[in-house]
Amino acid sequence: MYKIEFRDVSKQYPGAVSHAVDHASFGVGEGSICVLLGTSGSGKTTLLRMVNRLADPTSGEILIDGTPTVAQDAITLRRRIGYVIQQVGLFPHMTIEENVRVVPSILGHTGHDVDSRVDQLLWLVGLEPAEYRKRYPRQLSGGQQQRVGLARALAAEPAILLMDEPFGALDAITRRRLQDELLRIQREMRRTILFVTHDVDEAFKLGDQIVVMSDGSVMQQGSPVELLAQPANEFVSELVGTRNILRQFEFLPVTLALEPVTDGRHPTITADATLLNALLELIRSGADALVVTDTQSGKSQGQVTLRSIARRVQASSTVESALPETTYDHGAAASSRTEGKVTAT
Amino acid sequence: MSYILNGEYWQMSDPTSIPNLLIGHIVMTVVAIVLGLAIAFPIALVVVRYKRFYLPVTSAAGIIYTFPSLAFMALLIPFTGLSPATVLVPLVLYTQVVLIRNIVAAIHAVDPALLEVGRAMGMSGTQLLLRVTLPLALPVIVAGVRVATVTTIGIASIAPLFGVENLGYLIFQGINFSYGEQVMAGVILVSLLAIGADLTLLGVQSILSRGRQIAAVA
Repeated sequence: MYKIEFRDVSKQYPGAVSHAVDHASFGVGEGSICVLLGTSGSGKTTLLRMVNRLADPTSGEILIDGTPTVAQDAITLRRRIGYVIQQVGLFPHMTIEENVRVVPSILGHTGHDVDSRVDQLLWLVGLEPAEYRKRYPRQLSGGQQQRVGLARALAAEPAILLMDEPFGALDAITRRRLQDELLRIQREMRRTILFVTHDVDEAFKLGDQIVVMSDGSVMQQGSPVELLAQPANEFVSELVGTRNILRQFEFLPVTLALEPVTDGRHPTITADATLLNALLELIRSGADALVVTDTQSGKSQGQVTLRSIARRVQASSTVESALPETTYDHGAAASSRTEGKVTAT
Repeated sequence: MSYILNGEYWQMSDPTSIPNLLIGHIVMTVVAIVLGLAIAFPIALVVVRYKRFYLPVTSAAGIIYTFPSLAFMALLIPFTGLSPATVLVPLVLYTQVVLIRNIVAAIHAVDPALLEVGRAMGMSGTQLLLRVTLPLALPVIVAGVRVATVTTIGIASIAPLFGVENLGYLIFQGINFSYGEQVMAGVILVSLLAIGADLTLLGVQSILSRGRQIAAVA
């Protein structure tokens, strides 16, 4: 069962001619990061705001743990969902500590437990409690403020985190750093995160699943690899940059460039490696080919060469490309984005 | 200055001594401002909620503000006689135009993103008002209270004409007896009181502005 499920959700604002969200249906698995990717006005923020009922759908329904959101009291529902926005929205009249404990305090939790929880959260987002607890938001940089924003959203241990372009207003370096921190925190905490962005690189970096939106409609849902290898239409292809060779190298798994083994003595590479891993290893080892071995069994699946990789990348540069039905497997592809183990024999 | 510094005029047993007149002035001002806030607050909250009332309400308060204070109080004598009420009713009504406008402006000035965040965190309407809207609006509201207080201290000086003693007594008494020193003492003390009250409220404003820049006087 999905943690969050959108069932044929539409939203039309009063007085608007077209739908802000138009019959959107998809599910978000528990403990995963689902990125809503689209241009401004594509309905991604509206979709997000309907999860914690800051807006309600005109038709269709959203289910959390199988229960429709409209069947739940909006205030109770929101207290179980973390919310982070681009403007951060720290309360300027409260210290960092007070900001982080807002949700526990509206729930009536006070005292020592909450104190140590605040410390714990500040450590988690990389701020030293002793130094920051008593400061006010305007004494912090934009990046630090958003760290507090994240700590605040996590304070009541919500199972779901909604993030609306949280890093959109930060400079490139700070943004990259916070993206890394979010991935680190997510490895520890395993929340279900719905993340809105218009930044394709950010979507590819963070998303287990990416939902591409345009004009209120869902264009495609899939893993970064699926979007790159099998874009549903010209729009998705254009947006994710199917013709972006570097991105293909970075995300496509090595198994997409397999050819039959010609010589078993070549160095090996595991099947969860990316084309980029393979390319670098070919250059480093000076070998003509790499034998691709299954991640678990170590069995040979085929080999890759500079030529087979080049052919694959050229093939992807045309929209008609499709995933071959070979030994490709989702889990391996997802983990290949973080680590592609290279072993030479 | 010799009048103010003369110990003879500082005896508490004399109802028209400087400390007693000062206390009378302060009490009248405080009562007028507190009553003024008690009326302006609910009106402002209603106006924030139902915007169509804004223009009629502020216009009415503005028109009342144009009534000459002396005439206004004189008109009340048939109803309230020579009593503090005769002075207080106009004073309270005069504060409304500044207070209502300021409270409304202060609440409107609260960043909508913060209200959205508060709502998204699961704050109830009351929690949102008490934890977000009011703490953020208070410094601006106090800025309005400062203006209203200074005005009230000035207008309250005519209270002795209606049988209520305060620092205005020195001015009227001095005029009646062509005693310039006494008039000057009254004027100086009223001014000092106004300045003191303004600075005190500025202090309150800066305490309420914790974590932010002090709001400009609106």
